[in-house]
Amino acid sequence: MARKLRIWVDRTACVGNTMCETIAARSFRLNADRQSEAIDPPGDSEAAILEAAENCPVSAIFVEDAETGERLFP
Amino acid sequence: MLNRVRIQDDMFTPDVIADPYAYYGRLRDEDPVHWNETYALWVITRHDDLVWLTRHHEMFSSAVFKNDPRPPYPDIDESDLGLYDYVRNYQGDQFIQHDRPQHLEMRRVMHSYFTPKQMEAWRPFVVAAVKELLDAAEAKGEMDVMRDLATPLPVLVIAQMMGVPPEERGYVRQLAEKLLYIGRGDYDRMKPLTEGMRGMIEYVSPLVDKRIVDPGDDFISVLARGEKQGVFTRHQVLVNTSLLLLAGHETTINLLCNGTLALLNHPDQWDLLKQDPAGRMKATTEECLRYDAPVKSIQRIASEDVEMRGKLLRKDDRVRWFISSANRDPDAFAEPEVFDIARHPNQHVAFGSGVHHCLGATLARVEGQEVFKALAERFPGLRVTTDTLEYQPSITFRSLKSLPVTWH
Repeated sequence: MARKLRIWVDRTACVGNTMCETIAARSFRLNADRQSEAIDPPGDSEAAILEAAENCPVSAIFVEDAETGERLFP
Repeated sequence: MLNRVRIQDDMFTPDVIADPYAYYGRLRDEDPVHWNETYALWVITRHDDLVWLTRHHEMFSSAVFKNDPRPPYPDIDESDLGLYDYVRNYQGDQFIQHDRPQHLEMRRVMHSYFTPKQMEAWRPFVVAAVKELLDAAEAKGEMDVMRDLATPLPVLVIAQMMGVPPEERGYVRQLAEKLLYIGRGDYDRMKPLTEGMRGMIEYVSPLVDKRIVDPGDDFISVLARGEKQGVFTRHQVLVNTSLLLLAGHETTINLLCNGTLALLNHPDQWDLLKQDPAGRMKATTEECLRYDAPVKSIQRIASEDVEMRGKLLRKDDRVRWFISSANRDPDAFAEPEVFDIARHPNQHVAFGSGVHHCLGATLARVEGQEVFKALAERFPGLRVTTDTLEYQPSITFRSLKSLPVTWH
C-alpha cells in the first residue's frame, strides 16, 4: 500500500508558477492569492507529487512521510 | 483632475535612466496606476498590484507583439515599419510572448531542465569559471567588472549549456548587444535590432539542424525535442534558442554589475559580507536583486476591461509593470531604500511572479551567489574607480555600461 504523505507549501516563497498544480492537480490547488496549497489528503501518486515538488522553481514545496516524519523532499 | 497626475511622461530622459527609483517611486506614491499619455500605456508601480497582475495572466496577455496593433513606442521612422513587422514576427514566436494554453505547453518542454536541483548541478562549473576570470583579473591588476567578469561569466555558462563552441562566444555576445535595442528608445533602433535577430537565426540554424538529427544533453536539444513533439515550429525553436542565449546572460550581467556596485557603495554591507561570504551569499544576492534589479519593467496587453485602483484599463490597452518601483515599495519592505544584505523576508519581484516567473531564476541566483562570495573572499579592498557611471538608455534593462574597479 502506498504510504501517506504530508505536504506543505511555503507561502513566503511560492510565486504562483502553478507547475505543481499542472503536474499533480489532485494534490495542489491555487488559493485566492493564486498561490499553491496542498490538498489533504493528496490524490496523486508519490512519484507525481515528488515531480511536482522538484519542478517548483522556488523550492517552496516540502514532502514528508506522514507516519515516520521522514523528509522526502527536498 | 483626479485621474491625471502631472508627471512628465518621457521614460527615456537621462535622469530617469540614471535614477529610475526617484521617478517610478514618485509614480508609485502619487499615481500607482498611471496613464502615460506620451506612450499610450498604463504604468503600474506598486508591489501588490504587480503581484496581482502577474498572477492574473488570463486578464493580461503576454502576447504583446502579436496583440498590439499600434506602432512601436517611442516613434520610429515610417520607412522602418517593414523592419518592425519582422521584429513582431520574431518576438511573437518567443515562448514568453504566449498565453495559455500554448505557453504552458512550451514552458513544459523547457521547465524541467531549469529546476533548482538541475541548476545546482551547474554550481561547480560556475565556481570554476569565476575563479578563472578572477585569476586573469588578478594577474592584470585591474578589472572592469562589466567587461572582465559580469559579461564573460554568464555568456560562458549559457553557451556551455547550449553547446556553443568556445570560440564563437564573442560573436554570440555581439549579436546579443544588437538584440538589446528592443528596450531602447533610439529613433533608428530597428536596423541594429533586426540585424541582431537575423544574425541570431542564421547563427543558431545549423546548431538546431544538428540536434534534430543527433540530439545531445544540451539545451538546444531540449528545444529540438519540442519540435519533434509538435510543440514548436522550426522558427520557434530558432527564436527560442536565440532568446535563451540572450536572456540567459544579459539579465545576469546586470545582476552581477548592479549587485557589485551596491555592495561597494555600502561599505558596512560589504564588510558584513566579507565576515562570512559563504554564509551570506544567498541573502546578499536576494537583496541585490531587490535593490537594483536587472530588469526594470515588463509589458502586457489587457485581454479584457479591468479596473485597478479606480482606473479602467480597457481591453487591448498597453500595461507596463515596474519591478524597480515594486521592489522599493514601503508597503512591501521595511526601509525599502536601505540596502540590507540580511533582509528577511525579502519577497522581491525581480524575477516577476505567476506563470511567467523567470525560467532561469535559479541559474542567475547561483551565478550571483558565487560571484559576490568570490569577490568578498579574494578582493576585500575592492572599490569603484570612477565617479561617472552610465546606464544603457533602456526601459527594460538596468544595464551599466562599465564598472571599473581596483583592489590596491
